[in-house]
Amino acid sequence: MTAGGMTRAALASLVCAIALLAQEVEPKSGPMFFVSPGKGVDFILRNSPTSRKYLIETMPGGVALLDYNNDGLLDIFLVNAGHVYDPMSKPHNFDRHLPDYWNRLYRQNKDGSFTDVTVAAGLANAGDTNYGMGVAVGDYDNDGYPDIYVTNFGKNILYHNNGDGTFTDVTAKAGVAAGGWSVSAGFLDYDNDGKLDLFVTRYLDWSIEKSKTCGSESPTYCPPVEFPAISNILYHNRGDGTFEDVSVPSGIAAKKGHGLGVAFADYDGDGYTDIFVANDVTNQFLFHNNGDGTFTETGLDSGAALSSNGKMLSGMGVVFQDYDNDGQPDLLVTQLPHQPYVAYHNEGHGVFSAQELETGFGTLSGNASGWGVGLEDFDNDGWKDAFIVQGHVFDNVAKYDSSLSYRQPPLLAMNRNGHFEKADAGSTVPVAGRGAAFGDLNNDGWMDVVTTSLGERPQFFVNRGGKAHWLTITLRGTRSNRDGYGARVTVNGQLRFATATGSYLSSNDKRLHFGLGSSEYANVEITWPSGSHQKVASVKADHFIVIEEAAQP
Amino acid sequence: MTGCFLFIYLLLQPQSAEPTVPQEALVIMQAGADAESRHDLDAAISDFRRATELAPSSGMAFLRLGNAYIQKRVYSAAIAPLRKAVELIPGSIAAHQLLGFALLAQGYAAEAIPHLAAAKEYGALGIAQLQNNQPGDAVGNLQTALAKNPGDPDLLYYLSRAGTALSAESLDNLVSRSPDSARGHQALGQNHYAMKMYPEAKQEYAKAIALRPDLPGLRLELGQVYAAGSEWEKAEEQFRAEADLQPGSAEAAYLLGNALLQQGKMKEAAEELKRSDALRPDMPETLYALGRSAAVSDPALAEKALARVIEMEKDTPLAGEASFALAGIHRKQGKIEQATKDMQDFRRIQALHATANH
Repeated sequence: MTAGGMTRAALASLVCAIALLAQEVEPKSGPMFFVSPGKGVDFILRNSPTSRKYLIETMPGGVALLDYNNDGLLDIFLVNAGHVYDPMSKPHNFDRHLPDYWNRLYRQNKDGSFTDVTVAAGLANAGDTNYGMGVAVGDYDNDGYPDIYVTNFGKNILYHNNGDGTFTDVTAKAGVAAGGWSVSAGFLDYDNDGKLDLFVTRYLDWSIEKSKTCGSESPTYCPPVEFPAISNILYHNRGDGTFEDVSVPSGIAAKKGHGLGVAFADYDGDGYTDIFVANDVTNQFLFHNNGDGTFTETGLDSGAALSSNGKMLSGMGVVFQDYDNDGQPDLLVTQLPHQPYVAYHNEGHGVFSAQELETGFGTLSGNASGWGVGLEDFDNDGWKDAFIVQGHVFDNVAKYDSSLSYRQPPLLAMNRNGHFEKADAGSTVPVAGRGAAFGDLNNDGWMDVVTTSLGERPQFFVNRGGKAHWLTITLRGTRSNRDGYGARVTVNGQLRFATATGSYLSSNDKRLHFGLGSSEYANVEITWPSGSHQKVASVKADHFIVIEEAAQP
Repeated sequence: MTGCFLFIYLLLQPQSAEPTVPQEALVIMQAGADAESRHDLDAAISDFRRATELAPSSGMAFLRLGNAYIQKRVYSAAIAPLRKAVELIPGSIAAHQLLGFALLAQGYAAEAIPHLAAAKEYGALGIAQLQNNQPGDAVGNLQTALAKNPGDPDLLYYLSRAGTALSAESLDNLVSRSPDSARGHQALGQNHYAMKMYPEAKQEYAKAIALRPDLPGLRLELGQVYAAGSEWEKAEEQFRAEADLQPGSAEAAYLLGNALLQQGKMKEAAEELKRSDALRPDMPETLYALGRSAAVSDPALAEKALARVIEMEKDTPLAGEASFALAGIHRKQGKIEQATKDMQDFRRIQALHATANH
């Protein structure tokens, strides 16, 4: 028997890990989400703002959704910032040894509550000289357990997941501490060798000593152009637990910018993962993967560097997925007020066009400043919607412009055939939003969001569900990296690029979620990073499935 | 420079009103004049001061002493001898002129005004009136002075300031005398808008429109308030109402077209921008917006509009943006060579302005 070109043997590689039928929920008439602080999650993102306006204070903090213990439930890792003294004195100490400033790992319990397992997991104390920023998640050693990489102003940390609920700091051995001011990061397999590599964005050549304030009447944070630009870092995974900094030979280091967000996708379908860096007041960078270990920055020539009127973006968060279901990954970049969030539409042949106006973001952005961002199908209608965490950079912005505010509610925009329209996210509470991670927290087939806010507890946006159908796929690479990062997965004509990277400082549920609308069955097609293709036909909707890469091409 | 001019002017002044001056005083005054001509102002001041002591009823001695202080730019010391000079020779234009300058230089604008008026020194008089919150009078006198010295940058600067102040004063009058009129609310709306107090501005414009719904311009301005806050849907509503009220207004059509463009309503925007272009051809902003809005539906029209912007604007930032937009159109059409050339133009103009800004 064959199904969609698949043999029975190949079909056998499809494992139904969890088979939860979609709960029949009345159609939504109200907000999309129930919003709560998360039961058992007592984390507060302590950024410690000072009168000195050290720029790091306004930039944290990341959140990751991962299943660290492989129990089928998403757990949460939250990056804390640190204690900033007013003023800071040498030696710089952010008091990360104090529990208030620890990063936190919360294990999800079967009843949907969370338990703080930070100490037991060995993740307490992120180093007194490190001010926390973001997080990336990936199984870099293909042992089946997700590992955690934390970025800092200071030294970054790679935690290896031991598979027994504990982690080990392997930074020194791995050689991935970086240094300076790292921001977003992500795991990818840029050379398709089956081992996850690591990309790290860096914001500025900045230090406490170089810090200064800007603004005349009321001092505030300086714009990035006040400090020298800096290059990003690419680490190649040698496969023996160590990484090699290949930033220079790969061409990544040739471009200096003000990197904040990062996202991956194979935008030209050549089988190699490309890299987009959201830069603040610099051209956006689109690093085209040449397939030989090198990259060429093509942002300006491909049309993905500036806004539609040729202006530089204050790029902060970014997501790289196909929003108009034409089978090509597009980009959505968040930025500051009065600068619309820019949707770069992938026109094919390596060409993008900035369509912030056509997509509706010219109206939706308004006075808001966007950070964490996702393109997820929240109503399971087959179109990826946008969710953006918002909040201004300056805590005193209202003194400069009374039409602006530091704290802002998030933006939920529903995708109507490629045009986005504002919807009720369920929260009008303004916060200084920063990070956002997307995933299905309660395994009900409806995408949820966890966000971070400066000085506050995280917000859990739990989807109220509905009647439309869905399918969620976990990839298990064999010849490709085990996470399947870099795979192109098409379901009923919708494309998702397999990655946990995107948003701002954050790492998403690695499972691939598809809304199926009224379709009760789905046809799945996968192009793995190894180059192999797999098709799975007539998969019943409303299931979580695991697809393992066929052992032979 | 002014001092030299005045010195020459002084020498031409009739001295018929002068009482008999002792010979010794005349000799010392001549010595002072000689020192002055050698630019030895300290010696000149010493001599003229001695002359005022020897001939305390000589207005000319005080006038020369005041003038020497002014040449030395010690205006505070010039005021007392010049006051005495005016007292002794009230008909002396030079004495009034110099005293007016000295007072104005020290910030005593109100006191300077009658002296500058007596001397018919219209430029300085206008400046003094501006500083004394008399912008209406200042505008008239500065215009008179400019008629004599066209293009004088100082006079142009102060005339500009006086015009602004007069405008503000007029608005203040309007608001204080007719606060409940449509124009009063409009004026308040403008003030709030200028201060980025958008909610307050919206309230005032709404009141004005309620009072005089047919008043041209109100909706245009209210629309701009909404536009400043990126509330494009509401801006469109107001610009559309203005365009209905003034179908011949190219500005209303442009603003409506731009509001539609910002909302991604490309076809509607292109239609309205074409109408604006027909009403007032060759407006670069209109053509640029037309080029962007027509890029998908009518690329030929878009190319034509953007090319015209580049032709008219040469190397301005708008020309750069038009080149960038053209590159996008050509790239989508697969015309890579043209797109590359467009991007070269864009980068060249960008570099030009980056250098200028630097």
